[in-house]
Amino acid sequence: MEQRLRSEARALLEQGKVDWIIGFEPGSLKFTTTPLITKDKNDAERLVINPFIVNNLANFLIGIKGRVGIVVKGCDSRSVVSLIQDNKVARENLVILGIPCTGVIDLSKVEKLAGKDRGELDDITREGERVTIKTDGKKKEFPITQVLFDHCLACEFPTPKEYDILLGEPSPPLANPVAQERIEKLRQLAPEQRWGFWEKELSRCIRCYACRNVCPACFCQRCFVEETEPQWVFPAPRWQDNLIFQITRNIHVAGRCTDCGECERACPVNIPLRSLTREMYDIVGELFQFKAGMDKDATPLLTHYEEKEAEEFFR
Amino acid sequence: MANKKISKKDIGKLLNQWGQQFAVFTPSREDGVAKMARWEGKDTGFLGWYWNTVVPPKANFLPPMEEMFRFQKDKEGYRIELPPDGGRQLIFGIRPCDARAMKIIDANFKELYQDPYYLNKRKSALLVGLGCTNPGESCFCTSMGVSPAESSDVDLMLTDIGDELLIEPVSAAGKELITKSRGLKAANKTDEAKAKEVKKASYNKVSRKLNTEGIADRLLASFDDQDFWEKVAAKCISCGICTLLCPTCYCFDINDELTRQQGTRFRSWDSCGFPVYTKMPMENPRAEKWKRVRQKVCHKYEFYPMSLDVIACTGCGRCIRLCPVNWDITQVLNSVPAKTKVGK
Repeated sequence: MEQRLRSEARALLEQGKVDWIIGFEPGSLKFTTTPLITKDKNDAERLVINPFIVNNLANFLIGIKGRVGIVVKGCDSRSVVSLIQDNKVARENLVILGIPCTGVIDLSKVEKLAGKDRGELDDITREGERVTIKTDGKKKEFPITQVLFDHCLACEFPTPKEYDILLGEPSPPLANPVAQERIEKLRQLAPEQRWGFWEKELSRCIRCYACRNVCPACFCQRCFVEETEPQWVFPAPRWQDNLIFQITRNIHVAGRCTDCGECERACPVNIPLRSLTREMYDIVGELFQFKAGMDKDATPLLTHYEEKEAEEFFR
Repeated sequence: MANKKISKKDIGKLLNQWGQQFAVFTPSREDGVAKMARWEGKDTGFLGWYWNTVVPPKANFLPPMEEMFRFQKDKEGYRIELPPDGGRQLIFGIRPCDARAMKIIDANFKELYQDPYYLNKRKSALLVGLGCTNPGESCFCTSMGVSPAESSDVDLMLTDIGDELLIEPVSAAGKELITKSRGLKAANKTDEAKAKEVKKASYNKVSRKLNTEGIADRLLASFDDQDFWEKVAAKCISCGICTLLCPTCYCFDINDELTRQQGTRFRSWDSCGFPVYTKMPMENPRAEKWKRVRQKVCHKYEFYPMSLDVIACTGCGRCIRLCPVNWDITQVLNSVPAKTKVGK
């Protein structure tokens, strides 16, 4: 799959079909990859596909000029489709290189299983449904479901919804119920307890805005948190204001969020943000029978108005 | 003063002892993220930690959010109320990189101008350093003149020598603290030799290297090399992780919260990576991302050494480890062109 990607990417640049390739290359730390954004056909040799391709590269489509060949997993492809729906990118300017995804490894889960920091591990290898963690010369094997990101376990569409080139055979959905357990647990809590839970979690927020900045659905030129006249939310990281920020962000990305899990992964202080975004994703599904980024010709959920759908007072 | 030692299992008792005089902070994951937290008398697991705290100890002196004062308007005019003093802090288990970082912030908040909020906390605090025995993969302290298990920037320095910790007094305040502390034993020659070995081994384990030679000059020469900076900035997402969680970054924003007749003034962490940075007077002169990335790099490795004779980086590696896109400062700096094409 990796070899094919490299030759396709090189050919696209060589033949002038795209100006840019956006993909993954090896990162500078163990078990990491990093976005590769390049115009140079020789860089195609650096492209990788492995269980650590965490980023949602659709995020880089906004602001890039020219035609782009972009590498996507299932969730990322839906973010691309969502951006097309919102007229943020034009389909004809894209060559989508689809990876049938089998899930991405969550290093914090690996650390918990191994009882060691990621830096202390010698190797993490995946073979099908098993993962082997090597540390201090010893190998331990686990089912892959124990180390995949929750959003990967919950994934319904691991094969890209939209692509020009599919780099492998389609992969089956995981839709593992384990992934929803923590969200279900929160749903079961009494409102006061749930309030207490989020107070504790959001007290850690430092307002780095990584959750917003890694999110392809957060494409506003100017975010409401930065408005000063009026000031919608206080700029200092007080938990109540952090909550307003997160709730508003959630409503803004409703119908655009593809549950790619990037907000939660990027958070440096471990706030379980996906417990909010996935809840919103499910609410959107339930209320509107809508899933983000499924069809590029569909109208976007919340920026679209039809008279027959409107509430009485609205008409 | 001769060095002392203490058994690791007695550390809790020592911290409790110090807790009667100081607000003791230790590395902790209790709050869901690794940071300096109030010592609760239980968990000394941090003694075996591989990596550093995610939130740097600067947060104890320049908190993410801080009340500066409250104000109230009445018939006589405005009344101002200052927040209460937080008491003396003892930061236990600070790493040499972070202790050096405090010195670097001092250069700005103590020497260039006096910041009362920072200095009130800083002046009265004691730093008890804990050397790394197993530096992290993202660490590059040895390139920045910091040794992972040695420090002259603390009051006491601790070295892991197996079941015990060697305690070296560094400052006068550190010596005084040792004299007053109960339960410490005198260190013998074997302990000293062990500590020396640990320090050397730890130093040699730091594998990430940054070539700092002539770095300020190279950056100066590359300042207008837009191609280089655009390439370097391409994958940056302009979040605040690498600056807010940098132990030497000190930028802050000030905001008032107002109701009818009263209000509170807060200051909170700010980042030069944000597009809205310095918007309060008028505009951010660095609207383009590549200019903001350049500013972050140049401030640390060019402007700081030029004006204060020290690079504002201690190689703690947080910015590398925590970056959502693996933007690696060592790769960037090692790739700064020796001579720029621009204007030549």
